[in-house]
Amino acid sequence: MARAVSTRRKITFTIIGWTVGLLIFFPVLWTILTSFKTELDAISIPPKWIFFDWTLENYATVQERSNYFRFMMNSVYLALGSTALGLIFAIPAAWAMAFSPTPRTKDVLLWMLSTKMLPAVGVLIPIYLIFRDWGLLDSRVGLIVVLFLINLPIMVWMLYTYFKEIPGEILEAARMDGASLSKEITHVLAPMSVPGIASTVLLSVILAWNEAFWTLNLTTSNAAPLTTFIASYSSPQGNFYAKLSAASTLAIAPILILGWFSQKQLVRGLTFGAVK
Amino acid sequence: MTVTVDAVEPVRHRAGVLDKARDILPKVVLAPSFALILFFVYGFILWTLYLSFTNSRILPVYELVGFGAYVNLWSQPNWYVALQNLAIFGSLYIFFCIAIGLTLAILLDQRIRGEGVLRPIFLYPMALSFVVTGTAWKWFLNPGLGLQRTMQQWGWESFRFDWLTSTDMAIYTVVIAGVWQASGFVMAMFLAGLRGIDSEIIKAAEIDGASTFSIYRRIIIPLLRPAFLSAVIVLAHMAIKSYDLVIALTGGGPGNATELPSTFMYSYTFTRSQMAVGSASAVMMLMGISAIIIPYLYSELRERER
Repeated sequence: MARAVSTRRKITFTIIGWTVGLLIFFPVLWTILTSFKTELDAISIPPKWIFFDWTLENYATVQERSNYFRFMMNSVYLALGSTALGLIFAIPAAWAMAFSPTPRTKDVLLWMLSTKMLPAVGVLIPIYLIFRDWGLLDSRVGLIVVLFLINLPIMVWMLYTYFKEIPGEILEAARMDGASLSKEITHVLAPMSVPGIASTVLLSVILAWNEAFWTLNLTTSNAAPLTTFIASYSSPQGNFYAKLSAASTLAIAPILILGWFSQKQLVRGLTFGAVK
Repeated sequence: MTVTVDAVEPVRHRAGVLDKARDILPKVVLAPSFALILFFVYGFILWTLYLSFTNSRILPVYELVGFGAYVNLWSQPNWYVALQNLAIFGSLYIFFCIAIGLTLAILLDQRIRGEGVLRPIFLYPMALSFVVTGTAWKWFLNPGLGLQRTMQQWGWESFRFDWLTSTDMAIYTVVIAGVWQASGFVMAMFLAGLRGIDSEIIKAAEIDGASTFSIYRRIIIPLLRPAFLSAVIVLAHMAIKSYDLVIALTGGGPGNATELPSTFMYSYTFTRSQMAVGSASAVMMLMGISAIIIPYLYSELRERER
């Protein structure tokens, strides 16, 4: 709904909007600030906002004590591995549904998306049993496969909404001109679908990076990503806030940066294409 | 005339062969994803269902014994705690997320400055894992640190905010964190709805002298009905699935005060070695979510067939 709004009202609403924005962002900001404090400053009362001795020691300690880097690499492997596997399956599937729709296509899509709504606990026990029998517990490969499977419906859906926007006339024109299937794909489809694929990659990486249920339940140390690490690190009592904040900051930094530079894709991805 | 036909003919012939490939190929490339989702979701759900009718404890047993696990499940006081918590959490979570999300969407729709920057900020809580953002929340809610101590230090000596450590109130801290996490997401859904409303209708109402308030109450909010419906569905299923909120914030405690069905399922299956009871609780959750999404999907399908 686009409406003319008076300047005065606009300023008022802008101030309110930014205040709310700051409030919502506060926990994240606080985590980042705390990560640069000493443990003593982190729990000092009254809280120190920005006037404290800035230090990087938490980052060093976390790395030293728990080999933080390994957990981060696990997060990277899991996010990229499951995304790559997902693309291999999702691109052809989404392509098929977008460009050769049948009367059932919408039903299939809706059905796929509905499976994403089912609770993970419904399939936890079988997966746990298979993992245990096949020695896949706490292995990267196993977790990559699980993350790939749980994000596959979303990836297909996302890609579909993007592919759907590619005008069919262009493909028809290419076919009229006698383009072969491979030419059609490399010269027409591929260039036009890059933005959609990029957005889908972003969404899938974010979802895999954040995944807590499966990583907590299927890993302990070897294949454990940052989410598992932070969950195990956090004891709410004790003098660990600054270190925990350092670990948390590193875990959210990639998403904050990715999200900032691809705001549109982030919004669209998280709302499953409802907001373009 | 003849010349043109000659020129086109070979192309058309080639297209004929390709058309056939184009007919089959879509089905072939769709099949793997379809089969994987079918097997992974429904196959494994059937497996869980089967286990819920057995006597499995630490190891799976495949001998059917009937409804024993369900009887056991419904005699666990913990299960009632989990259900009660889900009812409290779910209803407050849905209500506040929608109230705040709608307010934020209306606010952002006033063409405020820097909307493009605010939108991702509102969505960040959803984009970041709660296991990670929970760190700040634990500090904030901790009575010995955070809000309570800060307020007392500022001179409000009697200020109390110790919900996190209180058996009766801990579940409300989960609500607060959950609302923080999902409000921006709901905002984005409503904003899409608001932007989709035909501005002509609003203009007509304005010309007729309707106040801004009554335009929202009588025209805009009724027109957002589909957005309300999807928001409720999405939030309801997220509430039932909630896991990391509790794990990161309270770990189910103090005691079992913030137990939710998903943490119940986990602890019965793995910590207490009651796999059949865990399976039975998973089946109950599946039924709960199905009761929400099946009517929704059905109405979506019927809508399109009209």
